[in-house]
Amino acid sequence: MFRIMIVVTTVLLLSTVSLGQATASSDQETIRLLVQQVKELQEKVQALEATQSGSADAAAQPAALQVQQEPADQSGNSRPSLAAPPGLHELGGIQWRGFGEVNYKVLDQRQPELSTFGSTPGSSGNFYTGDFSLFLTSRINDKASVLSEITFSEQPEQLFQVDLERVLFKYDYSDHLRMSFGRYQTGIGYYNTQYHGGRWFLTTVDRPLITEYAHDGGPLPTQAVGISTTGLIPSGKLGLNYILEYGSSDTNRPRVDGSPGGDDESNGNHVNIGLFARPDAIPGLQIGGSFYHDNISNVDLHESGRFGQTIVNAHVVYVGHGIEFLNEGFLIRHAEEHTTTVFNMPGFYSQFSKRLGHARPFFRYQYLNMNPNSIFEDILLRCGPSFGVRYDLNDNIALKTQLDHTHRKGKPNLNGLQLQLTFAF
Amino acid sequence: MYRKWVATLLLSWACLSLSGSAFAQIGDVAVVVNPENAASNLTLTELRKLFAGEKRSWAGGLSVKLIVRAPGTHEREVLLKVLGISESEYKQYWASQVFRGEAQSAPIVLPSIGLQKEALTLYPGGVTLVDAKDVKPGMKVLKVNGRMPGETGYPIH
Repeated sequence: MFRIMIVVTTVLLLSTVSLGQATASSDQETIRLLVQQVKELQEKVQALEATQSGSADAAAQPAALQVQQEPADQSGNSRPSLAAPPGLHELGGIQWRGFGEVNYKVLDQRQPELSTFGSTPGSSGNFYTGDFSLFLTSRINDKASVLSEITFSEQPEQLFQVDLERVLFKYDYSDHLRMSFGRYQTGIGYYNTQYHGGRWFLTTVDRPLITEYAHDGGPLPTQAVGISTTGLIPSGKLGLNYILEYGSSDTNRPRVDGSPGGDDESNGNHVNIGLFARPDAIPGLQIGGSFYHDNISNVDLHESGRFGQTIVNAHVVYVGHGIEFLNEGFLIRHAEEHTTTVFNMPGFYSQFSKRLGHARPFFRYQYLNMNPNSIFEDILLRCGPSFGVRYDLNDNIALKTQLDHTHRKGKPNLNGLQLQLTFAF
Repeated sequence: MYRKWVATLLLSWACLSLSGSAFAQIGDVAVVVNPENAASNLTLTELRKLFAGEKRSWAGGLSVKLIVRAPGTHEREVLLKVLGISESEYKQYWASQVFRGEAQSAPIVLPSIGLQKEALTLYPGGVTLVDAKDVKPGMKVLKVNGRMPGETGYPIH
């Protein structure tokens, strides 16, 4: 019996100890809840005060709607957004955001390179503003919305050009069918689908050259007007999605080597088909590819001037747990009509970055090998690494620095340093 | 005498154990929808897709309306845990989603349970996370991986 008492007493003691721990944690929980309730009461008072003294719009809305959407509240302030002035980023039902950048680029050559920005012949280092983007979106109903992106791009001699980068009427019929009508970024691969104007979203200072906007010298037809549809394919844990596009891209690109003129591809209508999987087993992983086809005309290089253009993409991307690992390969195939002339031109990039607190160091390697007889005679072979770091001062401002080393066929290697201050507002 | 003493000790132990399970339930966070919503169970993966904006409609076509708690709350911490990202990444993620046109707007941010309940009434497709102990009448709690909050193996806490 004495033994039983010892055992029972031990169990009781252990239970008491665990109760003590639970009580301590319960006290902390209670304190946390009380603090939270006080905060909630303060916010309710602020909301009531704002309603009484605020705009007619705010007063006309139900209480639950008098809140701001998250991206509009990126001030770095951890207070709930209800306390912020209503309508900060919303005007008459139109939500807007702006993105800007200020850059400095220095090269070890006095020839314009590394895309077209900030490259004034005769000078090895320049400041430039790049793109200033205004993004507008408005919800029409649960299914329909309008989206637009207006960009003011810096041109030579500090002139600015306004471009309607995107304007889309979007209709989401279901998860399996989402339609967009208007000017869109073509769904060629991952990067062009994922990243639009606003370099604030990019980890690096610039886009990889293979996915650079055509109007900044990139070889892909990055934008088009037409119909773009996407959606989920019932595929269980595989998480398959499709992209189907039909439209006109009409690509006109300057030469990245700084030589005068450019290439007007006068594209015919294109078809683009993409497929990608986001498997449930590895959140953040995307594996996919796309197939693009159109006809281009360029009488500058060839008499017939008409080519069938096919672009094949494959990508493996992982974004999650602070890691960004992007890998994309492209094959651009130009086949001249009525001849046997075919140019197969590969390109790829691989980019890795890891978030370390506010900093995100990155490394990128890119490779392009364009045929000298093709319309990409300004690009030719160029490859090399870039590395640098993005530092987020807060949720709206980031500083980036990037070093580039580019090997160029038939030209001296090019080294560059790019500094960028980018912001969202 | 001994029997009474042992019975008392066992009774105390049983009470303490029950209290312990009640403490364990405190951290569970319920997935709550409008009572009209036909859904009754989600997998953890579906929940992640829902709050990442990848799943935008319920079975039957009802549009999903995401409602989240403000930063600093337990529900917000649990949401970030489910998505596997930090607060800063969450904000950037939604800014990016809206900018790409992948979402009409970011989730509505609400600071209190009362407003969450009001929002669920307003939006038939509304879904939000609520501390299990704060669930109020008029809120429909969904099972996650076939389990209700408080049950052993419930994954959201």
